[in-house]
Amino acid sequence: MADAYPRSMRESIGRVEATRPERMEVEPQRLSLEERREVLDSFHPDYKEGGKRKLLVGPSRGEFVPHEMADLLEAYPLIDPDQVDLGQVDHEVDVLIIGGGGAGTVAALSAHEAGIPADRILITTKLRHGDSNSMMAQGGIQAADKEHDSPPIHYLDVLGGGHFGNDPQLVRALVNDAPEVIRWHEKLGVMYDKDTDGRMLTIHGGGTSRKRMHSAKDYTGLEIMRVVRDEALSRGIRCLEFCPTVELIRDDQGQVCGAVLWNLETEEYTVVRAKATVLATGGWGRLHIQGFPTSNHYGATADGLVLAYRAGAGLRDLDSVQYHPTGAAFPEQIVGLLITEKVRGMGAQPLNVDGALFVHPLEPRDVESGAFIRECSSPEQGGRGNGVVTPTGMVGIWLDTPMVDIIHGPGTFKRELSAIWRMYARFDIDPATDPVLTYPTLHYQNGGVVIDATGATAVPGLFAGGEVSGGIHGKNRLMGNSLLDFNVFGRRAGIAAAEWARQAKPGRPTLEHAANYAQELQGAGVDRERKAPSVLPEYRGERTLARMVDLI
Amino acid sequence: MSAEQDMIRIYIMGKAYEVPGGLTIMKAMEYAGYRLVRGVGCRGGFCGACATVFRRAGDYKLYADLACQATAEDEMYIAQIPSVPAERASWVLTELAPEDNPILALYPEVARCVACNTCTRACPQELEVMDYIQAALRGDIPQVAELSFDCVQCGLCAMRCPAEIVHYHVGQLARRIYGAYRAPEAGHLAARVQETARGDFDQELDKLEQMSKDELVELYRKRDVES
Amino acid sequence: MNSILYYPGCGVADQARSMETAARGALGALGWEMEEMERWNCCGTVYSLATDDLMRHVGPARILARVQDAGHEHLLTLCSMCYSTLKRSERFLTEERDRLDRVNAFLDDEPDYTGGVRVVHLLELVRDEIGYEAVEEAVQRPLSGLKVSPYYGCTLTRPRAVGVDDPERPRVLEDLLLALGAEPVSSPQGVECCGAYLTASAPEVARRRAGAIARAAARGGADLMVTSCPLCQYNLDTRQGEAPGASAHAVPSLYFTQLLALALGADPAVDEQVIDPRPVLAARGLAVEVKA
Repeated sequence: MADAYPRSMRESIGRVEATRPERMEVEPQRLSLEERREVLDSFHPDYKEGGKRKLLVGPSRGEFVPHEMADLLEAYPLIDPDQVDLGQVDHEVDVLIIGGGGAGTVAALSAHEAGIPADRILITTKLRHGDSNSMMAQGGIQAADKEHDSPPIHYLDVLGGGHFGNDPQLVRALVNDAPEVIRWHEKLGVMYDKDTDGRMLTIHGGGTSRKRMHSAKDYTGLEIMRVVRDEALSRGIRCLEFCPTVELIRDDQGQVCGAVLWNLETEEYTVVRAKATVLATGGWGRLHIQGFPTSNHYGATADGLVLAYRAGAGLRDLDSVQYHPTGAAFPEQIVGLLITEKVRGMGAQPLNVDGALFVHPLEPRDVESGAFIRECSSPEQGGRGNGVVTPTGMVGIWLDTPMVDIIHGPGTFKRELSAIWRMYARFDIDPATDPVLTYPTLHYQNGGVVIDATGATAVPGLFAGGEVSGGIHGKNRLMGNSLLDFNVFGRRAGIAAAEWARQAKPGRPTLEHAANYAQELQGAGVDRERKAPSVLPEYRGERTLARMVDLI
Repeated sequence: MSAEQDMIRIYIMGKAYEVPGGLTIMKAMEYAGYRLVRGVGCRGGFCGACATVFRRAGDYKLYADLACQATAEDEMYIAQIPSVPAERASWVLTELAPEDNPILALYPEVARCVACNTCTRACPQELEVMDYIQAALRGDIPQVAELSFDCVQCGLCAMRCPAEIVHYHVGQLARRIYGAYRAPEAGHLAARVQETARGDFDQELDKLEQMSKDELVELYRKRDVES
Repeated sequence: MNSILYYPGCGVADQARSMETAARGALGALGWEMEEMERWNCCGTVYSLATDDLMRHVGPARILARVQDAGHEHLLTLCSMCYSTLKRSERFLTEERDRLDRVNAFLDDEPDYTGGVRVVHLLELVRDEIGYEAVEEAVQRPLSGLKVSPYYGCTLTRPRAVGVDDPERPRVLEDLLLALGAEPVSSPQGVECCGAYLTASAPEVARRRAGAIARAAARGGADLMVTSCPLCQYNLDTRQGEAPGASAHAVPSLYFTQLLALALGADPAVDEQVIDPRPVLAARGLAVEVKA
């Protein structure tokens, strides 16, 4: 069989192999806080000039967000409020959950456990139930449940990773609920990796001070999502699929009391009335901020931020974007897809073209990504120019994946990291014997809608959980805290929504807030053609788009 | 690699399109002008939304794969499966006893398996699907759980099965029974849950919550890292 | 130690592990080892009588192909039904070249099956390879005074072409029992169907049949019955108690492997039966401890 790697890359692999014995003997050095700062300031895309702008309108006016996000926040409603008849109600429920990923499904189960009957809960989602970044999370979920660990130790790790910009109350909720979440999963039948006595097999993630990363092979998110979705099905909780939300409905007192959905296939709108609404729409990876490839789900288009912002909810920390250091950089077909941090957790080191280790493998993600970019950038850009160049001109960093089997025994990579193994095997690359090439990929929305520790937003009747919300991770999320986040805050939002629904007295439903927002935009001189939410990213060929006409 | 930029011809639902070589089936369809709603999901091989069947030129076989993972080839005939009609049997985990094995009661069609292995051939994850159905037939829940673990629930097995088995639902049932009842419980986890419920860490967390950033930074600097 | 490749089948692997454990113990005492196939599937359970329905032979053919691929000539079974289905399918496929070719073409993910694997029931192995003399010599705990009614059922001996013995006047269980020191009590019902085929669709038939078989055994003075099939065993054990007026003559039943293991000192588990065989065993001086 022909070598999957071209000669120049193969030669560099030779150098990786040559330095391996020596590298295996030495414990890598961690960066000091000052060194971390320097890497971030000089090389992390967040700190690059010109990537962001101040918001012109809305509750977070004046705050910096990436242009790609600002274009959606400063945009007119997709649906004309005058075209919608709110009097024709299609679904009337106690708790509406927008988003059928991890946070939404956990919120639904939690609202149910808090006493809302299954037929008074409705999940709505843009694509299929379960379609989400939750499903794609590979490496693990953090929880301080071992004897030498504790929620306070976890707390400090979260803050340090987030550069101390996190909301302390949210972090506290995150770390304190974590063991209970894992226990809940265990009872629902999530197959965590355990030893024969039932002890959880846990490893480090970037920026953790204790080995608290729980996993289900490298399909941790898939396994959790499959189980919670199956549980929702077994309880008879309904999910409306292929129905993105295009506007929230507020009543005359400013409470959110439902949503307008739009059927992607029949193109009709649907009105849902609800006493409480949970926003669980996920993040923004598919905005391809600064042109980066992304590891995210097709539906990750920040719709929830747009809806919540128009309805009056504040946003935070959207100036910070998480780039996962190890997105695939070769072959071309899989560029941007994720190689879980668990691979580094199990010993694989990042190396430059000469096979040299240039950064500790497990710095927090933003620092690690910054260091990758520094190593790959040319000296003219202030970088070191030590990246590996692919035939299509991508530059990347080796991830020395064969170290996993050398450290943990032959067969480990294929068994424990089967998703990654499979992804490369399709292209005749065996990561157990050859390193793989990586480059940072747009991975996570660190910030989002402002919530309190119960999951409530500033808008009465509107709750949020999961990636759509902000404050938990500050300016940078650690590995294993997103699966945890959607469980903890999905659950809290579901419970809070159930409680709210019990006493809520919705008034007259209106879309006035959307109309008012449009007026504000007009006042600020925003182009009328710009509309949001975007619902789906645009990947059609340019030629097709240029010739497209709407005839029938 | 430059050869990859050569144009190839593919047939999307029977209609010919010219697309650049080297794209995944999904990207090739988008290049051709399709805005995907069905048959698209995570685009990373995890969600199972993009189940696709295809034939290759001069080959009688019907192949199955994920559109986001498989590379489009010249003269490929492609159709996506928009949705897999397959019913999940009605069952509730907490109503099962730990030793129960309800697989054949809930999915009696499992017993119709003739070991033809079509499911295994259809599986884009290359799982030993038939083997886990056979394990289900003989009540071996741990084996079903293990062999089906990497399932992305695309449903291609169920669409191809001549015995009309819904393999991926069977796998889900077995995995949940295994995870909840057969796998040993984590003792340290139960103990920690008791401690957090009792509020054992509240004081320490109160203190941390009150600390200034400088104090926290200092504490963080001094933290010890488990090796 | 001699070794033979072994096919458990679903019934043995699921509900009838005690049949297998006892067989392993007994064979071990006779210097034989059962090596379970690495990967196997259901044999199909019921042999299809349709001559043009080759799909029903894909399962057995896959098993046979794997046996051949692993370099084995013999395949051991314990369950009568698996034995019969596999053996009949082997004959059917190799009888006509065209059938084999067509099934092989379908099994293109396995190496071709070319024919010649000999499916062997444990009773045949004991009779033809090991020999009753060797069994007699190995007996450590003679089953003296134990009256046992052999129950053959349908598929162990039928059809004649693949049966292990004469379908109407079989002896193989009687001879084995004699070698173990027990007293065989042949019953006219021993070669009749137990009704297991109808246990789901017409349970009353299965109840009636199980009752009749048990009554006949009791009339002959049997302490217990022996079976060679998980389905027969299940039916005799659970259904006879449901038969009208059953409790007066409940006759326990055991797998022949369990009696073999008991006599050879391999200490089988016999505590899974609905009708507890331990009192009758104890009454004949064959007390068996309950295992944890």
